[in-house]
Amino acid sequence: MGVTTGEAAPNTQPFRREVPIQWGTFALTLVLVAGPLIPVLLQSLLTGALYENDYTLTLGNFTRLATLPGFGLVLLNTALLAGLTTLVAQVAGTAAAVLFGRTDLPMARLLGEFFLWPLYLSALVLSFGWYAVYGPSGYLTLLWPSSLLGDAPWNLYSLAGMALVAGVSQAPLAYIYCLSSATLTDPTLEESARIAGAGTFRTLWRVTLPLMKPAIAYSAVLNFTVGLELLSIPLIFGDPAGITVLTTFLFNNGISSPRPDHGLVATAAALMLVIVCALVWLQGRLLGNTRRFITMGGKATRPRPFRLGRLRWPLFALTVLYLLATVLAPMGTLILRAFTSFLSPMIPLGEVLTIANFTALFDYPVYTRAIWNSFLVSLIGGALATGLIGLIAITVHRSEFRLRGLLGYLALFPRAVPGVVAGIGFFYAFALLPGLGFLRNSIWILVIAFTMRFIPAGIGAVAPMLLQVSPDLDRAARVQGADWWTASRRIMLPLMRPALVGCFTILFISFFKEYSTAIFLFAPGSEVIGTALLQTWVQGEIGLVAALATLQVAVIAVCIAAVRGFFGVKLHG
Amino acid sequence: MAELLIEGLTKRYGAINAVEDVSLHVADGEFVTLLGPSGCGKSTTLAAVAGLDRADQGRIAVGGTVYFDAARGIYLPPEARGCGLVFQSYALWPHMTVAENVGFPLTLRKVARAELRRRVEEVLALVEMERFAARYPHELSGGQQQRVALARTLVYQPAILLLDEPLSNLDAKLRDRARAWLGALRTRLKLTTIYVTHDQIEALSLSDRVVVMNGGRIAQIGPPQEIYEHPADPFVADFIGTTNFVPARLLADVAGGGRAQLELADGQRLEAHSERPARAGSRVTLAYRPEHMLPATAAMPEGSVLRTRITSRAYVGGLWQVGLDLAGSPLRLEARQPPMGDEFSLWLPHAGGILFPGAADVAA
Repeated sequence: MGVTTGEAAPNTQPFRREVPIQWGTFALTLVLVAGPLIPVLLQSLLTGALYENDYTLTLGNFTRLATLPGFGLVLLNTALLAGLTTLVAQVAGTAAAVLFGRTDLPMARLLGEFFLWPLYLSALVLSFGWYAVYGPSGYLTLLWPSSLLGDAPWNLYSLAGMALVAGVSQAPLAYIYCLSSATLTDPTLEESARIAGAGTFRTLWRVTLPLMKPAIAYSAVLNFTVGLELLSIPLIFGDPAGITVLTTFLFNNGISSPRPDHGLVATAAALMLVIVCALVWLQGRLLGNTRRFITMGGKATRPRPFRLGRLRWPLFALTVLYLLATVLAPMGTLILRAFTSFLSPMIPLGEVLTIANFTALFDYPVYTRAIWNSFLVSLIGGALATGLIGLIAITVHRSEFRLRGLLGYLALFPRAVPGVVAGIGFFYAFALLPGLGFLRNSIWILVIAFTMRFIPAGIGAVAPMLLQVSPDLDRAARVQGADWWTASRRIMLPLMRPALVGCFTILFISFFKEYSTAIFLFAPGSEVIGTALLQTWVQGEIGLVAALATLQVAVIAVCIAAVRGFFGVKLHG
Repeated sequence: MAELLIEGLTKRYGAINAVEDVSLHVADGEFVTLLGPSGCGKSTTLAAVAGLDRADQGRIAVGGTVYFDAARGIYLPPEARGCGLVFQSYALWPHMTVAENVGFPLTLRKVARAELRRRVEEVLALVEMERFAARYPHELSGGQQQRVALARTLVYQPAILLLDEPLSNLDAKLRDRARAWLGALRTRLKLTTIYVTHDQIEALSLSDRVVVMNGGRIAQIGPPQEIYEHPADPFVADFIGTTNFVPARLLADVAGGGRAQLELADGQRLEAHSERPARAGSRVTLAYRPEHMLPATAAMPEGSVLRTRITSRAYVGGLWQVGLDLAGSPLRLEARQPPMGDEFSLWLPHAGGILFPGAADVAA
């Protein structure tokens, strides 16, 4: 072969395609993230409503909020609820991580799977399940021999009761972080303690747990943050009992009230934003920069498990009891409730079995619309968001884009924006900007808000795999004459396919169960399952709520099973 | 095919100068190797030529095209340069077959399909990989992947060829064969080539000229033989081939090209040729290749005989490696017969050693 003449490079034209693409991605992310926050912060400084024309700048809202009767109690309740929730979640999660990850507990793997369930369900659905079992007319409450022992000792309509439900629903977070720390630690550290003469429990207490400390601390702050942002549980159990927390305060004054006090709502939202920002900053400090994208599993070798000895079966029984009481019974009862007209231990099951709840669901257009909208928002929205997240990830990690560092921060910032604050912010933003009115009553406002909310989760699914793809692969394409966009499209995107599938699934599930942002944004015609659940609950139609929740759980379960089966993608973390 | 011109190239990472004021002219069709330990700036230089890294100062031009000129603010992105770069990791795209990998640069250049197929076949035949066209990279051995990577670069007839340690991922036996093959291919193609390696045998056997780099700077440029026989400083002497260093002190002034009278730390004296003039009392370092050091016998040509102590003996197959202590400096000698006893009488030639001014810190 005569290689005699040099061939011209294909890309000698001055126009570079990556410029509009990268700047476009940056601008879109900036608008998505800053769009809802600026109106909130601005409104908190105004006397009148943002969309009216006569207002002046003021700090009066802050003093008004500070002196508002009962607001101190709201803050106290919020802190107590978040603190108790964290306590419950950390104790359960850490114990589960040690038991399932490090001991010879029978069927540890299976039990671990059940333990993760609440992660896939929304706290909303879980609280309906708890209501069906432990509520005032719940299955177990009715079974309680109250004539003998007095009233049932549990009360969901209290701070402790709410913290228990929330703690169980958040325990998987603590479990995942502690487990990954447990499986990543060098097993020889424990083995050397045992060789030095420490017994099983002393080793656990003096070596294993201290090694988990960073994971425990990080997940505790994370759980505290999630506890602060929680809306569903306080709304369902707190409101009827007169226990108000920040999120329900925002909901009641911003949405339910006929004449919302925008200044007050925005100020409370801004306050919440500041607190959560500080907590997320603390999370970052605890985790360090490199481990921000935590990946689960991966290590095939499990360190030698601890022998529980005589406690093996008692602990197994205790674990099964915990899972039954907190996850399996609530979910089972809720599903059973969906297939019955009335559920009570006093009435034989055969007499009440029916599918009337589901047929009723499809008789009312509002429910079919909500289900249909949920699918649309999750499928189309999830796909669009996956595309944006892919672009962000490639621009941040694989380009020479000048603002890529800033883009990376921007994309992760929504972690610090609670769902209710995002909901209020988008509500203001769309009310404020002219020409966006047509979006306001459509599902697209939900797609936009959900996308903003879950960009960090998507990045978390994509970035670890992106970082594993050798940079030489796209650099090789660049040297051979592909510009940035061609290299990204032809080389990076195909190699990232499994990560993008994982990202899409996470987004689909998250969009499908999201409600806290949606309740501020939906309008007649753009209901989704989450908002319909809350509305139907308020109307007291428990059968319909159960049917709708069952449907949501079924779709998510199918989704998880499909992705696990086909792609082997792990979804948590 | 074109000549490459690098002028005053400087690249900083924070406070560290990865490459400092590197200037190099590679003639049309010349094969030049950048040689040095890791972190010496050779790969950074290569990345700057390919456009993967933007340098801070200097100028790079290939043929008539200016790739980079800091003073005039010119920086061509890698895709506009038309270089060919073979990565150390080969960087074959795992989701494409061998034929698709090799054809990709041609698709970018909008080559018609029939022409594309012909050229892919031709270049795969050149690297003797035509039977593997339908395979995926993970189905190939390391050596085969390396050939495909080269084919993917040659297929679009790059202006210059850049090779980044292409043999370092192969095992020792395969590396020898691949090196011979690369040498044969190089004479056929006559491409202007920059070859980066830390392996002196690759550098010496393949190159027209070798550029030895150290700490971001060029330590020496020259043909392989000159680099080996006349290293410019102790670093080059130490890096190329095995070298033994002995510190000494000058007893009398010496003129350039004269015979220097030297004294070792333990008082033994010897003579050595000095290319540069030096003053009495100054400290110098003597460098000897193992092949220049011999056991002293009766019938030796001009040289100094010195007393040494044996510190170790090891049989390395066919030869014995003998560790010696000469006035506190460790030396390594190769011998056919293991020396007996603890004392050893060493012969050093007057002309074979190289005398560097100052104390060398490379001899450890």
